[in-house]
Amino acid sequence: MASVAGPARTPFAKVSRDIIGALWDSDLRYRMMMLILLTVIGWAGVAWIYQIKYGMGTAGITHPVMWGVYITNFVFWVGIAHSGTLISAILYLLRSGWRTTINRAAEAMTIFAVMTAGLFPLIHLGRVWYFYFLAPYPNQRLLWPNFRSPLIWDFFAISTYFTISLLFWYSGLIPDLATIRDKLKGAPGLWGRFKEKLYSYLSLGWGGTDTQWRNYRRAYLYMAAIATPLVLSVHSVVSWDFAMAITPGWHSTIFAPYFVAGAIFSGIAMVITLSVPFRWALGLEDYITEYHYDNMGKLLLLTSLIVGYAYIAEYFMAWYSGDPAEWESFRWRAVGDYMGPFVIMTTCNVVIPLLCFARRIRRNIAAMFVISIFVNIGMWYERFVIIVTSLAHEYSPGAWGLYKPSWVELSITAGSFAWFLFWFMLFAKTLPAISITEVKESIAEGVWSPGDKKEEA
Amino acid sequence: MTEIKRRDFLKVLGLTGAGTGLVGCGQEPAKKLIPYLVQPEEIIPGIPTWYASTCRECPAGCGVHVKVREGRPIKVEGNPYHPVNAGRLCARGQAALQGLYNPDRITTPLRRLAGTGEFEPIDWDEAEAVLAGMLRTMRSEGRSDWLYLITDGAAGTLDRLFDTWMGAVGSPNRVIHESFDVEPLREANRLTFGVAEIPRYEIDGAELVVSFGAGFLETWVSPVQYARGFSASQTFRDGRAGRFIHIGPRLSLTGSNADEWVAAGPTGAMLIALAMARVLVAEGRAGARGAAVRPLVEPFTPERVAEAARLEAETIERLAHEFADARSSVALPPGFEGTDRNATAAHVAVNLLNYAAGNVGRTVRFGPNVVRRRAARVARMQEMVETMRGGGVQMLLVHGSDPVHTTPAALGFADALASVEMVVSFSSCMDETAARAHLILPDHTPLESWGDHEPEVGVRTLMQPTINPIFDTKSTGDVLLSLAARLGGEVAGSFDWPEYRAYLRDSWQEVGREFAPGSDFEVFWRGALSAGGVWRQVGTQSVTLSPAVAGVSFDEPTLDGDASTPYALLTYPSPVLYDGRSADRPWLQELPDPVTKIVWNSWIEMHPEVAERLGIGTGDVVAVSSPHGQLEVPAFVYHGIRPDTVAIPIGQGHEHLGRWARGRGVNPLALLPAAADEASGASAWLSTQVALAATGVSVTLVSTQGSHDDLGREIAEVVSVAAAAEAEEHAREEIERAPEALVEAAEDADPKSPYRWGMAIDLSSCIGCSACVTACYAENNIPVVGAELCAQGREMAWLRVESYYEHVADGAHGNGHGVSQAADDESAPLVVHLPALCQHCGNAPCEPVCPVYATYHNPEGLNIQVYNRCVGTRYCSNNCPYKARRFEWFDYEFPFPLNLQLNPDVTVREKGVMEKCTFCVQRIMKARNDANAEGRDVRDGEVTTACAQTCPAEAIVFGNLRDPNSRVSRLARSGRAYHMLGELNTRPAVTYLKAVSRGSEEA
Repeated sequence: MASVAGPARTPFAKVSRDIIGALWDSDLRYRMMMLILLTVIGWAGVAWIYQIKYGMGTAGITHPVMWGVYITNFVFWVGIAHSGTLISAILYLLRSGWRTTINRAAEAMTIFAVMTAGLFPLIHLGRVWYFYFLAPYPNQRLLWPNFRSPLIWDFFAISTYFTISLLFWYSGLIPDLATIRDKLKGAPGLWGRFKEKLYSYLSLGWGGTDTQWRNYRRAYLYMAAIATPLVLSVHSVVSWDFAMAITPGWHSTIFAPYFVAGAIFSGIAMVITLSVPFRWALGLEDYITEYHYDNMGKLLLLTSLIVGYAYIAEYFMAWYSGDPAEWESFRWRAVGDYMGPFVIMTTCNVVIPLLCFARRIRRNIAAMFVISIFVNIGMWYERFVIIVTSLAHEYSPGAWGLYKPSWVELSITAGSFAWFLFWFMLFAKTLPAISITEVKESIAEGVWSPGDKKEEA
Repeated sequence: MTEIKRRDFLKVLGLTGAGTGLVGCGQEPAKKLIPYLVQPEEIIPGIPTWYASTCRECPAGCGVHVKVREGRPIKVEGNPYHPVNAGRLCARGQAALQGLYNPDRITTPLRRLAGTGEFEPIDWDEAEAVLAGMLRTMRSEGRSDWLYLITDGAAGTLDRLFDTWMGAVGSPNRVIHESFDVEPLREANRLTFGVAEIPRYEIDGAELVVSFGAGFLETWVSPVQYARGFSASQTFRDGRAGRFIHIGPRLSLTGSNADEWVAAGPTGAMLIALAMARVLVAEGRAGARGAAVRPLVEPFTPERVAEAARLEAETIERLAHEFADARSSVALPPGFEGTDRNATAAHVAVNLLNYAAGNVGRTVRFGPNVVRRRAARVARMQEMVETMRGGGVQMLLVHGSDPVHTTPAALGFADALASVEMVVSFSSCMDETAARAHLILPDHTPLESWGDHEPEVGVRTLMQPTINPIFDTKSTGDVLLSLAARLGGEVAGSFDWPEYRAYLRDSWQEVGREFAPGSDFEVFWRGALSAGGVWRQVGTQSVTLSPAVAGVSFDEPTLDGDASTPYALLTYPSPVLYDGRSADRPWLQELPDPVTKIVWNSWIEMHPEVAERLGIGTGDVVAVSSPHGQLEVPAFVYHGIRPDTVAIPIGQGHEHLGRWARGRGVNPLALLPAAADEASGASAWLSTQVALAATGVSVTLVSTQGSHDDLGREIAEVVSVAAAAEAEEHAREEIERAPEALVEAAEDADPKSPYRWGMAIDLSSCIGCSACVTACYAENNIPVVGAELCAQGREMAWLRVESYYEHVADGAHGNGHGVSQAADDESAPLVVHLPALCQHCGNAPCEPVCPVYATYHNPEGLNIQVYNRCVGTRYCSNNCPYKARRFEWFDYEFPFPLNLQLNPDVTVREKGVMEKCTFCVQRIMKARNDANAEGRDVRDGEVTTACAQTCPAEAIVFGNLRDPNSRVSRLARSGRAYHMLGELNTRPAVTYLKAVSRGSEEA
């Protein structure tokens, strides 16, 4: 890598130094943080074991609301997983140069979010010890999963998405890993030698030759092209878990685009939420600047408007269809027992993001941080509202009922956030959180260079 | 050099192989199946034996068949040949099993320790010796009459033994106490017709049924019998349906089946009946009978009674006209909850109305009278309590009765018990009286006992043990005989039977002479035992108006209290728990009250206006105070009660009676005076007014129904008679045109299968009694989950009876698992009871969404749930529009010996799996196997589900939809047929037949 670094006085060396310099050394703050996260994860593990031992009744889900916070979390985390691939693949294909500083973190977020989301279908199983019944494995009984069930589609969609995201992320990392390897050449001590060995294995013998670069570029492009439709398909399939059911409030053709937009919306919000403390903690203020928040703000606004449109369209269709069950479901969603979550959802997802129309706010990192938190909350509640209110108020009025999460569900939900952050923090200290290669490319191509806030863009 | 021989090698290989195999199997503890060493003659494993017996859960005396598997009774069903219940049984009757298998039963004789007051187990010999010794002393000291015996009012051999035994011992003090007695009716009949009997009301023959309050579909006299008659009268058939008018302050379960509710004042029944009779007489519609009735009813013009009855005169006149216009009619008396201080007069008034309308001898039949021992007057009870207080009762024996719980606190029975030296209870469970006893000599439960019963004239039924006694209990008959032997002398001389069974058998010699004169007794006895008893037709006894009726004073009854206590208090026997004796049965505690759908609790029903005045809602605790006591109970806001009346069910409020009853709800008897209907001496349940005050405390009153408004969705459908007749006519033509045509749902099975199982539920028959729910629990090993889990919506009922109020006020829905307000329109309350269960859809939404094929369609059209395959995603439940599926949230317990009741043909599900109605697939399998063995198809009627089997109203019919001539196919082609939420195209196998209303507009 050093060979393409150019003259020493160029910012290239600074880039490598800044980004690699953020790695490994962990201070007390970091360690305390990791300890807290591990404790929360441990507690959630205890809660899960308790639930397995005594039964699903330890969770608050009940008749008729058989899905609750677990599936809310599942959809929420799958949604979070969307921004990574979107920013990496789609923006890459669209040649949006500003993506370079955030794509790596966004991709990592994708991987960890899918790892988190993937736990929830297991956690929510009544008999998790038979989870393998869901997989198509050959067996004496000649029993196969039911390919008509959206849950099986989910199984394939999520595992495909995870595989592709992982490969995409990893291939993007290869040149950077080689840079680190080169930096580590001759590192002292056992730990140093171990790191050097590790990174040299991970960089797969990258030498930065022209052939390698040419093949790498091609491969990256194709992968981006393969990953792009997945952004649309995964959350479409997740949305079909609901849309394929006949439950009023779920059974709607708008669900696929609505969920995809929502997923991107929530994913962008999560990128903003994570990047703010992250740039500060790792001292990367020069790399992730107002310019990037400005652009992410625009994306947030766009997806917020799509989501807002979907909300309105849902109500319009419920009214226009003349289906009394559908209309009653939507009426009750807004003014019934779950009015609180509904208000949170609409306020956070539709009203607050409107602030992003103001360029001043988009370029105010603190403001964007706050807005993104609201969006995260709002999007979690969106899934809660869709799942819970629809189930609570179905066709048979005699069987209407309410749902309230139990401590087990809340513990596991908290645990899922800890689990996600734990991996993200581990990532921040072991792998280059910003693509060194791509930042250097941006500089070389003159698209953008560190510290540039592009005030008058 | 040692060589390994081939044989050794194989041995080692075999051993290690087996060892490895065993280690691999080591996860589950080995469970041993031990075959019988000596096969008992009657028991074939897997094949049930049925024993005929008699239900003793209430005084009605229905005949039962007890299904016994491997020596354990597992289900109680009605005896199809029995004249009282014709194969049907209510929820309470079926729950007799949980009396037998109750883990809180008294397992051995108990004696109270003098010091601590705790009970200690003693053996029978010692217990009897103690009693005999004391009796001997009493007799020798000439204080035989210091012995008192309290029993229930059942007639039969045991009753005679009590009388003879008391006579032999020398005490005249036998007191018969029934919580709810029919003495006002008996007395009224004596006064009106000179016949002190309880007649049979032939509801099935009546086109118009007018009830002045009797809960004849829930608790009154013989509910299963009346439910059958009611269904025969009210079910829409051949273009006609009967009409039922309920007159009373509260819409009870019985009232909820009315076509019209006339919300008269709490004590208005008598005046309305008189005024109706007067209209009949004045308009000359009473014929020759009018002359005799006229002087009695002359003063009671509708205008004059209107104010006191709190009902418009025009309504009374209209009712009278309807009553006279009907081709056949019957008026039913006020019943238990209407028993006020002048209840006999009210019963007389209803008698006069029936008489004036010419119903006596037609729909009111003397002859096949109900047989009950005459219950003690309240005055007699008071006298006994006084004697007890004065120390004049040395020994008190209590059998089949729990007077501490079922007499008003104001009577002071519980306190007076303290002055009795020896209180002996024969109860098999620790009821309130037993808990205060000095000696408990637990009787067998009815299912372990020999016995007999005489429910009505011409019906003598037998009880036989269906299982060896589970615990160290002894039949009270045997105890009495053994005591007599111990007393020796002349007492022993009067009883030379070794055991009660022999005594019973001997006493049936006489029955044999009556019912089968000239036949061999042994043959008769065996025949009677296997049939469950003997019965014969009884002719109608003709009666005329007695001169005594002129002496009846129709004074308006008084209620205790004044302006500070503005609400009349109605206390009524719970349709589910009766007087509280069934409160220890978990099935019944978890069975939603048919009206309020509340489980595991007590409540006070009040009109929304009252609630508004108090500023409270459902679930808010109210302090209720009468001049005689006070208690706190959560409110249930209900449109089905007058604003000047409040109602509390009787049955809860036990301090004892086992884990399920203890500390649950309140006993409203704490509020009542020890008042009596003056003429008959019966307990006056309607005798006081109360004041209400909000306490500011709120509790969760657990209701199992979300909303009582079906929002006009295709759920509970009602049509008018005219519309139904037209539709039926059309359907009949259609059937004539294509008699062999099948309904659409019949297609949804394997083309080669001869069966597509289906069900038809006639909502015009269903009375909402919920017997089907308990049948389902018993048949399908459905766990009881308790109040807390019910509050979370986790009750496991595969079949629920929903009640929908078709005229519903605003805002009456949608407060989840807390209670929803039952509501109705003031003018025409119309309740539809709807049994909801898995519809076994041909196009089932649950099936495609299951990722593991745990639910699928079988070749006979059943929607099958494979417990072993289920992983518990619960998606199926989310996609079920009927919400018929239940999830095993936990592993539920069946504490010993309740586990003995489990049906071995049905899996006990583990936590984490989904379950639902299977259409009793185990019964279908059995019928199909039987049919296959004979090389034929299953015949119509050969297999039925547990719910259909027990339904007292015969509202549920099960069968094969591929057979065009089956009952279910015919019903499915009825003009009233519809599918619940049919527009979802789920193609259900369950066809509902629309309820038929004859509301006031059609009258």
